[in-house]
Amino acid sequence: MMSPSWSKVFRDFWRECARTSLVAFTIAIGIAAFSSVLASYAILTRELNKGWMETNPASATIRTDRVDDALVAEIAAQPGVAQVEARRTLTGMIKTGPVEWRNLVLFVVRDFEQVRVSTLKPQTGAWPPAVGEILIERDALQVARAGIGDVVTVKTGGKEQTLRLSGTVRDVGQAQARMENIVYGYITRDTLVRLGEEPFFNQVKLVISGDRLDESRIKTVTTDVRTFLERRGHPVSRVEIPAPGKHPHADLMGLFLLVMACFGLFALMLSGILVVNLMTALMAAQIRQIGVMKTLGATRWRIARIYFAQALLLGVAAILVGLPTGLLASRWLCRYFAVFLNFDVTSFAVPWWFFPPVLAVGALVPLLAAAVPVWKGCGVPVRVALDDFEVGRRKFGERRFDRALAGFGGFTRPLLLAVRNGFRRRARTTLTALTMALAGLSFMAALNVRASLINTFDHLFDAMNHDLAVNLSATHSLETATRAAFQTRGVLNVEGWLVTDGSAPEAASGPAKGGGLEAETPHEPNHSETKRFRAIGLPPETNLFNPYLLAGRRLQAGDTDALVMNSRLAALFPEIRVGDRVRFQIGGTTGDWRVVGLIREPFAGPTAYVPLGFLDRTEMKGMTNSLRIVFDPANPTGLDVLKANLDRNLEAASIRAVGVTGKADLRYAADQHMVMIYIFLLVVAGILAGVGGLGLATTMSLNVTERRREMGVLRAIGATPANLRLIVMTEAAIIGLMSWAAACVVAWPVSRALGEMLLRMMFKIGLDYRGDFRGPFIWLVLSVAIGVAASVLPAWRASRRPIREAVEYGG
Amino acid sequence: MNPSHQPSSSTSEPLVALRGIDKRYVTPAGDFQALKNVSLDIGKGEFVALVGKSGSGKSTLLNLMSGIDRPSRGETVVAGAAIHDLPENRLARWRGRTVGVVFQFFQLLPTLTVVENVMLPMDFCDVHPPGRRRAIALDLLERMGIREQADKLPATLSGGQQQRAAIARALANDPPLIVADEPTGNLDSETARGVFELFRQLADGGVTVVIATHERRVDGIDRVVELTDGAVTGSEAAR
Repeated sequence: MMSPSWSKVFRDFWRECARTSLVAFTIAIGIAAFSSVLASYAILTRELNKGWMETNPASATIRTDRVDDALVAEIAAQPGVAQVEARRTLTGMIKTGPVEWRNLVLFVVRDFEQVRVSTLKPQTGAWPPAVGEILIERDALQVARAGIGDVVTVKTGGKEQTLRLSGTVRDVGQAQARMENIVYGYITRDTLVRLGEEPFFNQVKLVISGDRLDESRIKTVTTDVRTFLERRGHPVSRVEIPAPGKHPHADLMGLFLLVMACFGLFALMLSGILVVNLMTALMAAQIRQIGVMKTLGATRWRIARIYFAQALLLGVAAILVGLPTGLLASRWLCRYFAVFLNFDVTSFAVPWWFFPPVLAVGALVPLLAAAVPVWKGCGVPVRVALDDFEVGRRKFGERRFDRALAGFGGFTRPLLLAVRNGFRRRARTTLTALTMALAGLSFMAALNVRASLINTFDHLFDAMNHDLAVNLSATHSLETATRAAFQTRGVLNVEGWLVTDGSAPEAASGPAKGGGLEAETPHEPNHSETKRFRAIGLPPETNLFNPYLLAGRRLQAGDTDALVMNSRLAALFPEIRVGDRVRFQIGGTTGDWRVVGLIREPFAGPTAYVPLGFLDRTEMKGMTNSLRIVFDPANPTGLDVLKANLDRNLEAASIRAVGVTGKADLRYAADQHMVMIYIFLLVVAGILAGVGGLGLATTMSLNVTERRREMGVLRAIGATPANLRLIVMTEAAIIGLMSWAAACVVAWPVSRALGEMLLRMMFKIGLDYRGDFRGPFIWLVLSVAIGVAASVLPAWRASRRPIREAVEYGG
Repeated sequence: MNPSHQPSSSTSEPLVALRGIDKRYVTPAGDFQALKNVSLDIGKGEFVALVGKSGSGKSTLLNLMSGIDRPSRGETVVAGAAIHDLPENRLARWRGRTVGVVFQFFQLLPTLTVVENVMLPMDFCDVHPPGRRRAIALDLLERMGIREQADKLPATLSGGQQQRAAIARALANDPPLIVADEPTGNLDSETARGVFELFRQLADGGVTVVIATHERRVDGIDRVVELTDGAVTGSEAAR
């Protein structure tokens, strides 16, 4: 049989079931938010790295000139090397219809059946691809706008060739194609020949033997292989050593989940505020019972235990609802991340360590929140508890603030009543308004961060005064290339630039290439042994490039050895400052450079801008391998048609374009990242608004219950049920208004800090802050609407209560 | 008692007419019959005291004649309106215009000033032009002798002052009927006497005043109606 104390715990809980359910539900939201993120973290880190390791990722990739089967066999025989495979990656373009070219990264695989390192998984269609066929990464189908069985046109530095799209593969190592707006294609060496390319491989992917997670050993083995290759006369142009055992995007994902977990915990803390409100009201209502229990011999601690047990019961009820919800939500979140990071989740099982923190947090938050009201309530002396009807409550009008409030009039009495009622339980109102304010803050921050990101991107893209960057398969005569481009109807301006490799002297070991044919690894490795960068020679007086200066100046006419770093290059060489002289190898020539400026350029790789005149001194004089083109905005021809015409004219001049990057394409990719941040902030705002709304509903329910008698009086003196509902709902709307005002005050600095943090985290750049002035207006409407919605039920219940019960004549 | 007052119940149509009233409450402990076949007429300008022990049905009877509660059986006609048939919203309006309710614990709304409390029923029932409401409320407070307390909050007033304010609020819409449940139960005897004098004056002015009280001897009363176990067991002139 249950003890009387426990009976009281359960019966009191049940008696107030509507309100306690509301609070338990609110805590459940917090638990669900926290547990979903924690479960996602557990699942994703395991699955991401597991999926990554299942591909048997290369411990290192060494880029050299030509690798044949014999050389591969020799490398495989080197000490410490477990597996070796030769690959080749090159860039090109692909199109399905007659017009639109899309950027293509093409992976050439020696034998699809024998891929052992950085493996691919067939998804649909053919496997392996036959000669004349191409496989596409599963997420890239949408980018290519093609379906299996379609005939696509592909061109690299060789010739334009139609291939049959015969299937899709899963390549876990690549980022989401949609987000990057790139097509990843996979072909055999024989198909490469059809594309007019020489059938050689130039990458060595190796997996070390023994502990493949030992980074220092990987470095040692890789250095040995590199030395071996160089001794055999194969110059090494680049060595990439990714963080062992870790997906390239694992850190980014972890960071995101960490931020989300913080918000989940935050939501949980906010729900704790509701427990404070509920327990404070409960203790006030139970004060006489406490007095009675004390007269019967109960100690303070003994009584407190009853109420702590109620708080614990709230936590348990919330866990029962929140935990399964959180686990379900984590599945959704994992699927989202899996698409975003381009991998598959094979199991949603959570590890054992997931449960203790969730259970502890779920139980502790209500207990901690209840601590002060319970302990204080249980400490009331017996006589006071038995005598006083409203112990510890000061009457409205006793404080100076109340009297000051009474001085403000000018409205109808029902409205005055609603306004002043909002200030009767000031602590409760403040806590409730605080939760709502935080939701408002998140909402306004989401809009402000979005506006700031757009503003920042606008400024960044303003630097590009051209519409199109066209990379050529080789260096061509500047005059021929520009003439061919100008022949395209709608082209307003053309400049020829030279893109080449640059490196710090100690890292440079191979000659710089002239063209942009061989692809860089599409995504940066976590760790690279070499410090290589891209060097761009451009006319110093160019008006097609107007970068945002962070320090120093731009290139100017007369510059010969001046160099402008972009922010990514500065990050690669943190020791270099504007004004320093540095020794770099650029365009095959090592020389001293004067760093004259630092520009903000977050979406490009590490890049040095140098005067084109410098490269004229090399064998590249009068040549170009990259065109910058401006279109006439008044030209009625569509961009795709214009691109196609430009391509045709270049081809007519025997110039092969292998990469066309439109300003709009870059902007699209940047906007995709922004949308992710924006949606994330809106989801957070939604969760907090849910918690805030439920908090307000609880508060209004408590307020209505406490004013039961007043409601009866109002009805007795002529108020209709509609009048009562209006008074209650207006009071809630006023709390919503207060929260709105508080959110508005802090939205600006918080949005700025948040946007700055997110941008630095994602793009490593600062934020050009701009507020979205629609935010306060939208939130004003929303907060009042939430207030009204949250009070509908309490208001309805207040209006339905019989007057006799409320007034309690007692006759 | 005001010897000059002539109650009109016998000479004109009653303001309150209760016919065959039963009131039954369903409680967890079982059904409870609060009133049994009560019939009662109260005339215009009459000052009536309902007396009886606790649980005798006085408050229930007051609730029925003020439209706060509805009978289980029988008819309640007040000021010409059959209020047992009125829908809730119309009943609320009717109550605000026709009945002034005075409570034992005053029940002034604590967040409104005294004058705002008095103006509140005017707002609900839209009885007086908005521009005149404050003046009318102040006039009522003047009549109650608490004009100087008009802009104070109820918590700062004494019990007697609060009850006078509550009576002023009850008179806000010029109702023909005032009901008061133990209006002096929370007041000292001298203040209570003042309240009864006020009621007497109201009755002299033509307002019907019905109070529920434990005391049989009330100054200024016209008639005493005695209730015992939910039934009227006596109705006699107090003089």
